[in-house]
Amino acid sequence: MAEVKLKNITKKYGDVVAVQNMNLTIPHNEFLVLVGPSGCGKSTTLRMIAGLEEITGGEIFIGDQIVNEKDPKDRNVSMVFQNYALYPHMTVEENLGFSLKIAKVETKEIEKRVTDAVQILGLQDLKKRKPSQLSGGQRQRVAMGRAIVRRPDAFLFDEPLSNLDAKLRTQMRTEIKKLHQKLQTTIVYVTHDQVEAMTLADRIIIMKDGYIEQIGSPIEVFSKPTNVFVATFIGSPPMNIIDADIIKIENKFYFKIDNELMMPCLESKYDLIKDKKKIIIGIRSEDIVPQISPNYGSEFWNFNKKIDLSEPLGTETQLFFKLGAKEIISRMYNPRAVNVGEKLSFEINLNKVHLFDSISQKAL
Amino acid sequence: MKQVKKISFWLLVLLLLILICLPGIWIFISAFRPNPEILSKPANWIPDRWTIYQFTQMFSINGYVSVPAFKYLMNSVIISSVSTVIAITIGMMGGYAFARFNFKGKNKIFLSLMLARAVPGISLSLPLFILFAKIGIINTSFGVILVYVAMNVPFTIWLTDGFFRQIPKEMSEVARTDGCTRLQAFWNVELPLAGPGIGAAAIFAFLLSWNEYALASIITRTVHSKTLPIGMMDYLDEFTINWAGMCAIAVVMIVPALILTFIVQKHLVSGLTFGGVKG
Repeated sequence: MAEVKLKNITKKYGDVVAVQNMNLTIPHNEFLVLVGPSGCGKSTTLRMIAGLEEITGGEIFIGDQIVNEKDPKDRNVSMVFQNYALYPHMTVEENLGFSLKIAKVETKEIEKRVTDAVQILGLQDLKKRKPSQLSGGQRQRVAMGRAIVRRPDAFLFDEPLSNLDAKLRTQMRTEIKKLHQKLQTTIVYVTHDQVEAMTLADRIIIMKDGYIEQIGSPIEVFSKPTNVFVATFIGSPPMNIIDADIIKIENKFYFKIDNELMMPCLESKYDLIKDKKKIIIGIRSEDIVPQISPNYGSEFWNFNKKIDLSEPLGTETQLFFKLGAKEIISRMYNPRAVNVGEKLSFEINLNKVHLFDSISQKAL
Repeated sequence: MKQVKKISFWLLVLLLLILICLPGIWIFISAFRPNPEILSKPANWIPDRWTIYQFTQMFSINGYVSVPAFKYLMNSVIISSVSTVIAITIGMMGGYAFARFNFKGKNKIFLSLMLARAVPGISLSLPLFILFAKIGIINTSFGVILVYVAMNVPFTIWLTDGFFRQIPKEMSEVARTDGCTRLQAFWNVELPLAGPGIGAAAIFAFLLSWNEYALASIITRTVHSKTLPIGMMDYLDEFTINWAGMCAIAVVMIVPALILTFIVQKHLVSGLTFGGVKG
């Protein structure tokens, strides 16, 4: 039951920087998800909190204590690993009780806590089994149970679901969420799966190359990405990114996408772009709407395009076409067959267009 | 047709088995018959008269001692077990260090340990003899143990390193976040998992010491420190060789090794293949 705080945390392997000057406060009871591509430093950060990785610079606080020099055993955090790391020579029961046995807790108390954990996770019938006799999902549950019985200050999850198949992953995701609501403790969760991040997190941290790109609630990072990387990383399919030139015609600004298409710029954004020549436009696929009867108004922009490919997914159909040199994906929510080569009319609500600086790639 | 194939296959196996076991069988037979019969031509495969004379002589049941075999046996047991225990303890720690930690010159140290194994032991005999004589540990069990430990440590390190590598490093990490010190994690989690492998390494070390002849023949001089393989030479006189006695003492040597191998056979095989995948 404690706050976890990272102050100017840096981790270097020789000359390679894994985590750069990270500052972060995780309040008690928060479900924080670290997400990013492989090698972005998310697992390293988690391992530094656990004490399994030495810190090159900075300070880590758990509660109000600096834990830099503390052994993992003295930090009172529990970690759940990707490959479960159950003790193969112990039964489920012994696996769960192991940490308490090491801590010399009374046998009665161990029994009670193990029984509690077994009940929370529905492992009643498996108590006497060895890990080799369990399925992937069951092993994952035991691994979580082992973390629960310790009653740690914080849970650390290192890609706990990536070894499970898609269906089980969804199921376990829900269970982890429920578990968090039941246990009311701090959770730091590492994943490279943005869907997991969105569904589980109170707050998401998107990392890249050892830097934090953005911190925010799932809705925040989705609707207001601070740069192109976050915009394309969060959301599936990724946000459409288009390079465009800025052109001024009769005191009005336009984004010239290719030779034929000019997207008007909302007047409210003139101040942001008036000194620039180039810009990066980001549009989510659901904001490019195939429209039969277009809306009229200054905030709508319509254009026609030939469809290169259509992928029906049931609830939606993804339509692929080219804008400039870029392949663009649009989502159509009324299921109907679309032929390749068919020309459709698309509509974009200009209020939903994201603008990024062409050099810094930061949101304007 | 299939039947014929099967039968001929097993016949071939049997033939090979007999060929391989023949020297051993000869030793066993010869240990239980009088000396002249061993030398008879053509060979007499089934003894006319079975006797345990050589054994009673060795273990002095009738008061007469041909060779102090009991003392040699004790020497062998003590030297082999003590050197094995020390070698496996050091080897285990070394193997763990090589498997789990990164330190400067790690690969070079490992390589030099392996190279030490490649030096033919006999080439060390003269320097060892002079050195041990100078510091006064020639003809002592301690000296032999020292040599055997040095001989076995690189071997046990190499084997146990392989076994520890097989255990995912998350095992120890999770144990440490579970409240273990590094040592507790080793003791409670990694050691039990590497147990069969370490057992196999220990047996190998034991058998190596148990059978060693070349160096022991230099360092041990009297009944005080001689081991069984060296004791066997007591049957070699200036003009005669007591083959029956030699065979008898060979049996005394073979039987414990055989029993040990049978007991741990399963572990030996699993241990060896287990470590073998290390690459």
